[in-house]
Amino acid sequence: MGMFEEFIGDLVALAPGLRNAAQLAATTIALAYPLGLLLGVLLDNRVRLVRIATLVVVELGRGMPLLVILYLVYRGLPEVGVRLDAMPSAIIAFTWSIGAYSADMFRSSIHAIPPGQREAAIASGLNARDTLRFILLPQAARIAIPPLMNLAIITFQLTSLAYAITLPEIMHAAYLRGSVTFRYLDTFVVAAVLYAVVAIPAALLVRRLERRLSRHLA
Amino acid sequence: MFEYFGYIALGVLGTVGVTFGALAIGTVVGMPLAWLRRSRHAIVRMPAVAVIEVLRGVPNLVWLFLVFFGLPQIGIRLDPWSSAILTLGVASAAHIAEIYRGGLAGLSRGQWEASDALGLSRMDRRRLIVLPQMQRVIVPTMATYAIGLLKDSALASTIGVVELTFRGGVVTQRTGDGLTTFLVVGVVYLLLSLPLALAARRVDSRMRAKFSVG
Amino acid sequence: MSQVSEGLLEGARHAPVSLRTTDVTMRFGETYAVRDVSLEVAAGEVVSIIGPSGAGKSTFLRCINQLEVPTSGTVQVGDKSVVFGAGPRRDREIADLRRNVGMVFQSFNLFPHLTVLRNIALPQERVLGRTRKDAEARAMALLNRVGLAEKAESYPGKCSGGQQQRVAIARALALDPAVMLFDEPTSALDPEVGAEVLAVMKELAHEGMTMLVVTHEMAFAHDVSDRVVVMVDGSIVEEGDPKTVMESPTHPRTQQFLAAVLGR
Repeated sequence: MGMFEEFIGDLVALAPGLRNAAQLAATTIALAYPLGLLLGVLLDNRVRLVRIATLVVVELGRGMPLLVILYLVYRGLPEVGVRLDAMPSAIIAFTWSIGAYSADMFRSSIHAIPPGQREAAIASGLNARDTLRFILLPQAARIAIPPLMNLAIITFQLTSLAYAITLPEIMHAAYLRGSVTFRYLDTFVVAAVLYAVVAIPAALLVRRLERRLSRHLA
Repeated sequence: MFEYFGYIALGVLGTVGVTFGALAIGTVVGMPLAWLRRSRHAIVRMPAVAVIEVLRGVPNLVWLFLVFFGLPQIGIRLDPWSSAILTLGVASAAHIAEIYRGGLAGLSRGQWEASDALGLSRMDRRRLIVLPQMQRVIVPTMATYAIGLLKDSALASTIGVVELTFRGGVVTQRTGDGLTTFLVVGVVYLLLSLPLALAARRVDSRMRAKFSVG
Repeated sequence: MSQVSEGLLEGARHAPVSLRTTDVTMRFGETYAVRDVSLEVAAGEVVSIIGPSGAGKSTFLRCINQLEVPTSGTVQVGDKSVVFGAGPRRDREIADLRRNVGMVFQSFNLFPHLTVLRNIALPQERVLGRTRKDAEARAMALLNRVGLAEKAESYPGKCSGGQQQRVAIARALALDPAVMLFDEPTSALDPEVGAEVLAVMKELAHEGMTMLVVTHEMAFAHDVSDRVVVMVDGSIVEEGDPKTVMESPTHPRTQQFLAAVLGR
């Protein structure tokens, strides 16, 4: 077999893994960002108990390695009778971790809005909910877009960790393929290329957008 | 579960070892990388940009597998510890190079001009003006990055480095209690990151107070 | 300015009312930002607060609509009053009071993600429950009167400072306030631009709005206000008609302050 055929063979072997990785990343983002928004807002809740409970959820999600959270869900939950497949387990673990990260981004974006905005809203008689909904969140969303897009790229890269709970993503497929061909290096290089061709152009795009946005704000 | 606590706690050594080993490599290798990245000549700058982008674009786990499972194919065999420290170290050099660059970019042109106008030597300019101000920007970011690296060190368990997460896996296999075990492991990571987080914040506010000119 | 002569208060739901504060105090530990300030502004009266920076003028103004919460004292707008420092905070009363008090900030504080028209319409819809159509019609009418109708669809970022401040005044007026507070409305503007804003304020004063204005514009305080109040170190040290206070002040701190700003 020529090198080109080998390369194509590796690509074909890894393709289903890429699909699963993309599915995990997309589902995570669809669930984690709304969760993060909710947590981010609750971090500033008036009720102390709500604030503390939210802080615990966020700090655990951010402070524990995602790999540990994956094991916690996949190997820990059966202890309490909840036995989940690899994909749902991964989705839960990823949503917790990424949701916690985004919560912090949402909150700091809200804090980045000049205090005069909240004051003008209050002085206009808007109540707390309307102030958040019509004045603060639309502005926070704009500030949060670049970091959230970066987090989305990181989420895609992190799907490689789901290998550890046997989710058939790219690394899982690469490892299987390697154990057949014994060309581990070649196959992992193909895997690396797969991640890179998604992550690098995406990162460059986000940086360009970031520059454009900052020009607008200044 | 309790009798295993000591066994898990011992994993702190491995985790801290991998983290600081990688951090040491990253801070050193990151320096020339940042320097090349800032070069005026595209022929020097572009390769540095490419290296940084590729290092950051490929996930750490993939690098780890490339080194540990892949390199033996061309006759390079490293043990799990060396693989983990080396891989995470070189991968983090790319991030750290960007942190250095951010520190330099945060310094206004006028600082160089003022130093030159005052007749400071290149050496004094670097030592007395540039580095102290860079430190203000870099130290908190580095502390935050170190926390990320601490958590990334868990990846080493997947190639058999016996650190915290690996030990958590062993205990789970023996006791069947993955919930308590990994919660304990997770909280240990949190506790380990606490001093770094505090350091970042304290240095941050101290520096800010010290440098609050404008 | 002929473009504002049709009347800024045309179509408002109710007439301006009086504003009264009694012993309003704001304290941080042992330091007083505002100390026992009692002030009455009659319906339709224009009162300017002047004084050195750091005297607590803005803080006092912000106490009136609870952007800062006073340690103690009473604020009364028309026949509604809110008492501070005694019993629990009454959110309902505060919301009620804010609804009747319009405020214009030094830094305009327009909402940058909304067009000029939406800046004025949105609070009407949410606070007064007006329909979008009614709110935007009212917003257009006010924009016409402050001479900015052609800016309706622009975003605040595309407006000059003077234009932004006139929009901010329109935004406050759209809610039919019974009292208007101005917190150094021209301090962030170049003098010639500030004049556009002062013209609108003058117009509003002539139409009988109750106005309390913290200002560094000595000419405005002198020419437009019915009364001038001098605040120093959180307290009122002197008040009276503008000519008396500004031309022959009696309190040494007033003399000192006026000498510094007027170069006398």
